[in-house]
Amino acid sequence: MEELKGAIAVMGYGLAAIGPGIGIGLVVASAISAMARQPEAAGMVRTTMFLGIAFTEALALIGFVLFFIA
Amino acid sequence: MEQLILASGACDPANDIICKPDNVIELFKFEDNLFAIGPWGITRTVFLILLAMVIVLTLLFFGLRKRRMVPSKFGVTIESLMQFVRDDIAVGIIGPEGTKYYPWLLSLFMFILVGNLFEVTPLINFPITSRMAIAGGLSLLTWVIFVFVGFKKNGFRYVGALVWPTTVPIALRPLVGLIEFVSTFLLRPLTLAVRLFANMVAGHLMLTLLLVSGWVFMSSVGEIGARALIGVPWFAFGLGIFVFEIIVAILQAYIFTLLSAVYVESSIHIEH
Repeated sequence: MEELKGAIAVMGYGLAAIGPGIGIGLVVASAISAMARQPEAAGMVRTTMFLGIAFTEALALIGFVLFFIA
Repeated sequence: MEQLILASGACDPANDIICKPDNVIELFKFEDNLFAIGPWGITRTVFLILLAMVIVLTLLFFGLRKRRMVPSKFGVTIESLMQFVRDDIAVGIIGPEGTKYYPWLLSLFMFILVGNLFEVTPLINFPITSRMAIAGGLSLLTWVIFVFVGFKKNGFRYVGALVWPTTVPIALRPLVGLIEFVSTFLLRPLTLAVRLFANMVAGHLMLTLLLVSGWVFMSSVGEIGARALIGVPWFAFGLGIFVFEIIVAILQAYIFTLLSAVYVESSIHIEH
């Protein structure tokens, strides 16, 4: 059972990284197109982009911590 | 083979797929004291916290000691850092009243920045923010401040507006209110701490594993011959990650400060 535990934790982290990976891609893609359309708003868009990344990333990081706890 | 599993102690030799470092528990534990002053034991982490504090105070003191019309290069660096925190984070997020929270945000930013950069400082190579106690303590401070500000500015309407959002159809209000309550008072401090902690732990582990495994391969060239060249790309990859970690250290300090400002802003203006 001990070996199985480690393997499941690794798979759990892999699964936890799928959603945030797609999410961060969407956030950054939209931010890039926003900055390209309106370069004068780039500063505001960048701040909001980092906020969005930070909120999306949290799920993957919780998965990463669970990998160590499990 | 003995040396190759140096970085992962709890390896099962019969089943070499699963290797797990056996010392990750130290991330949540107290270490042995380096030395003790009276009743206070000083561990390596505590020593580095004090060192970070001294560095931040020294930087700010010498950067702002002489106010001149044309400041020195060092003074300009420190001033532009402070201006960034004030204009982009404090005033940019919270609004004109953000100047009141600017000293707190500046000390948060500088302390986390110095603490994170310890990760890539030669001879230290240990980010103090990769201990949960420090990330958790800082996020608890943010939690206390934004809850206090919310009650001070809005009284009990602060919690009322959270658990009974009037902009939502009435049938959904209990559900949305519950989600909002949990996410504001429980998940916010948790994710704030875990984000900083996990980023720093991940970077630290990655640097250690890549550089150490590369070094182990390259230094055992006498035993394994030309196969020691496997270590070269590992070591090069580790050095690439080294540069990446500098960016991560700065970005995480920025994000922690930015999110603290956003949380305070959402406690002041509860309408949205």
